[in-house]
Amino acid sequence: MLSQWLFYGFATLAVVGALGLILSRHPMNGAMCFVITLISQAGLYALLSASLLFALQLIVYAGAIMSLILFIIMFLNIQPADLPQETGRWGFLIGGSLAVVPIGLLLLKIVRSLPAGETTIIGNGFGHVKSVGLVLFRDWLLPFEIVSILLLVALVGAIVLAGKKETIQ
Amino acid sequence: MIHDYLSLSILLFCLGVLGVISRRNVFTVFMSIELMLNAANLAFIALARLHESMDGHVLALLVMAVAAAEAALALAVVILLHKHTGKVDTNVFSLLKG
Amino acid sequence: MANTTTYLGLIPLLPLVGAAVIGFLHLGTCKGERLPERFYGLLACTAPILTFLLAVKVFFDLRGLPVETRFLSQEVFTWFKVGEMDIAMGFLADPLSSLMLLFVTFTGSLIHIYSIGYMAKDESFAKFFAYLNLFLGSMLILVLGNGPVVMFVGWEGVGLCSYLLISYYSEDRSNVLAGNKAFIVNRIGDFGFVLGMAFLFWAIGSGGFDYISLKANAHMLPEATVILVCLLLFLGATGKSAQIPLYVWLPDAMAGPTPVSALIHAATMVTAGVYMVARFSFLYAHVAAVGVFIAWVGIITALVSAIYGMYQDDIKKVLAYSTVSQLGYMFAGVGLAAYSAGIFHVFTHAFFKALLFLGAGSVIYAMHHEQNIWKMGGLRSKLPLTYKTMLIGSLALAGCPPFSGFFSKDEILYSALASGHTGIWLVGVLVAGMTAYYTFRMIFVVFHGSPRDAHAFDHAHEPPAVMTVPLVILAIGALFAGFLNLPALFGGSQQVTHWLAPSLAEHAHEAAHSTEIIAIAASVAAFFVGILIAWRKFGQGAEEPVFRGFASFAYHTFRVNEFYDVILVRPYKAIGGAIANFIDANITDIPAQVIAWFYRQAGSLFKLLQVGYVRAYAIYMIVGLSVMSLLLAQSFK
Repeated sequence: MLSQWLFYGFATLAVVGALGLILSRHPMNGAMCFVITLISQAGLYALLSASLLFALQLIVYAGAIMSLILFIIMFLNIQPADLPQETGRWGFLIGGSLAVVPIGLLLLKIVRSLPAGETTIIGNGFGHVKSVGLVLFRDWLLPFEIVSILLLVALVGAIVLAGKKETIQ
Repeated sequence: MIHDYLSLSILLFCLGVLGVISRRNVFTVFMSIELMLNAANLAFIALARLHESMDGHVLALLVMAVAAAEAALALAVVILLHKHTGKVDTNVFSLLKG
Repeated sequence: MANTTTYLGLIPLLPLVGAAVIGFLHLGTCKGERLPERFYGLLACTAPILTFLLAVKVFFDLRGLPVETRFLSQEVFTWFKVGEMDIAMGFLADPLSSLMLLFVTFTGSLIHIYSIGYMAKDESFAKFFAYLNLFLGSMLILVLGNGPVVMFVGWEGVGLCSYLLISYYSEDRSNVLAGNKAFIVNRIGDFGFVLGMAFLFWAIGSGGFDYISLKANAHMLPEATVILVCLLLFLGATGKSAQIPLYVWLPDAMAGPTPVSALIHAATMVTAGVYMVARFSFLYAHVAAVGVFIAWVGIITALVSAIYGMYQDDIKKVLAYSTVSQLGYMFAGVGLAAYSAGIFHVFTHAFFKALLFLGAGSVIYAMHHEQNIWKMGGLRSKLPLTYKTMLIGSLALAGCPPFSGFFSKDEILYSALASGHTGIWLVGVLVAGMTAYYTFRMIFVVFHGSPRDAHAFDHAHEPPAVMTVPLVILAIGALFAGFLNLPALFGGSQQVTHWLAPSLAEHAHEAAHSTEIIAIAASVAAFFVGILIAWRKFGQGAEEPVFRGFASFAYHTFRVNEFYDVILVRPYKAIGGAIANFIDANITDIPAQVIAWFYRQAGSLFKLLQVGYVRAYAIYMIVGLSVMSLLLAQSFK
């Protein structure tokens, strides 16, 4: 029963954070709201007994990626005056919701058609570092390597793009 | 139970889409995309729990890596754009106008 | 099989390869530093000389075969096969084509060698030789083709090359127009050739469309078809061989460099029509009436162009009209079924006309590209070798015994008399006299008398050896070629006629010796009368005459060009202009314009969607997805 309440709590926090992200005018506020979403998602991962992902969500997402984004926002030193004048924001939000709702409804319909299996007791070690690591390096080795190359390329690309003009030429 | 997780994931995904199409701030758009990725991750992990298989975890891991790569590049592009125009408004970049 | 060979295809291939190599080398180097002229000259002369050697080999191989099966053939590949039409890229050498082959490659080689001197220091030396090789290759395809279709390839090829070479000095607009004229007039003839070929195929093509099969099946043709085919093919011949009504291009073709004129007039191109008629002698022999018609067309062409020739002042134009006139003789010969006489005249004509043109080229070279004979004079002392060789050529052209032209022309006239066409014979004799007159008018004005342009005269000098040696060789040929077909009257055995006999459907015209003597006496008399008049008028030097009345009319070639211009070219242009301005713009283009308008409107509509904002494109995608979701949701359970 506790997990049920926890789920609702985290879910509410995540939705509130997401709403805060898309509604707040300044990206700084949005980013802080997004962090709430990410952390509550980490909680949801924990509820789903994905302990490794729980840790990674906190460390990589809420930690590394978000701090990078925040760093850039602050680095660019964006003043409220620099922000785009989004006068038609509410119109877009309402119109956008109308466009998105059918997609969401279809997806929900699909989800409803899935077998509604109650959560079963699962074996020890599900979602732990060792067991995920075994799957990762046994069955998913090639995608893992490809992703590592992707990261390397992204690194090089980021340096070339954001580096000083002299280093580009 | 799993249905609830999946429904939450869909809701978050839709909010992400909404953010992308209704906002002009580059950072908000970018974080909305991250939100969509996270929603997908949540669905992966929920389904992994449902099927009691850890492949979903691995996929979520890979998605995180891709998100990290994307963050690096996207932020570099944002810096460049800001350097050129001093703006973080997506509507400034409309060179494809017919 | 003893009659198949493997080297026949090489004969046309070598000059074509030469043309390609020279052409690409020229293209590759024309921007930067050019290769030396000596290199191109050697390269260009290699192919013709090799083909001449191969032609000699063909001749001796043919001699080794028995008379009944005296031919060599090679089928290189199947060119195309559509229904009953199975055309091989095949070559055939029989006595007729081997004779053509010999003099075409021989004079062709000499003209190539001569051109090295004549074209020296020309801006696009290599381009000229590439065209020249291509010209020779096309002519060899024409001669060696084993059927009308392969012949047509060469037929079109020489047409193309004549266009390229006539308008070679393309900086001058009139030269380009002359090239266009040659090409367009030839197209009219080609149209006849194609139609004739199509009718021939329609009638008997299914039994094989090469000469040997056609010859075997020719008896199945109804007479009306034969007449039609023969007339259509003759239309093609009038285009290529410059007969009435399509002769107008040949005098204009003088716009090209002089070696080109020599090549067109002697070795290639204009002989194609005569060769084609002789080639189809198995058809023409069936319809004597068409033959007589051809003979009359030929002899009238000879007469008309001889009249023109008497009044021209451009040295090359005089020679051009003499070629038209001699071609008229050839058609008179082949028309009267004296095919070997016609071909023999082609053969001797190749020597003396190449000689005359190359000699004229030397004169023009020496006079720094002055072509008006009234600006020359007294050049005998300055250009002794050119004078002597050109004198030999002129004597051969005028039909002085025992030069080559005498025997061949006499044979044609004798055939006319012997076959009972006295009218043709009389005109022929008259033309012979006129030929002697205008040829020696040219010689006397150019080489005798006193110089008319002192400055040019002082600077005139004999051209280099590379140009004079071919002249000497050709002069020997012009002098002695006639003896190859010495008639029995002079103790000869008519070797050429016997050699050609297997290829031709010849009717021998038997007549008494007295007839032959009458013919010879008349020709010789006409020659002496002609030369005498020329000597009286021009021998001691004469001033440039002012043409009045008929002479002026003849000088302007009876205003035929203007006549064609008024009755053909201008109406054609007017119709074309009307179509372009009215039908094209107001009727034909409308559907296209409506479609274009529609797309323009649609484009400007869709342009509205392309707002350029990233977000907008995302919205389009989401709207599309959401519509799809609505549709899917309806069908989902």
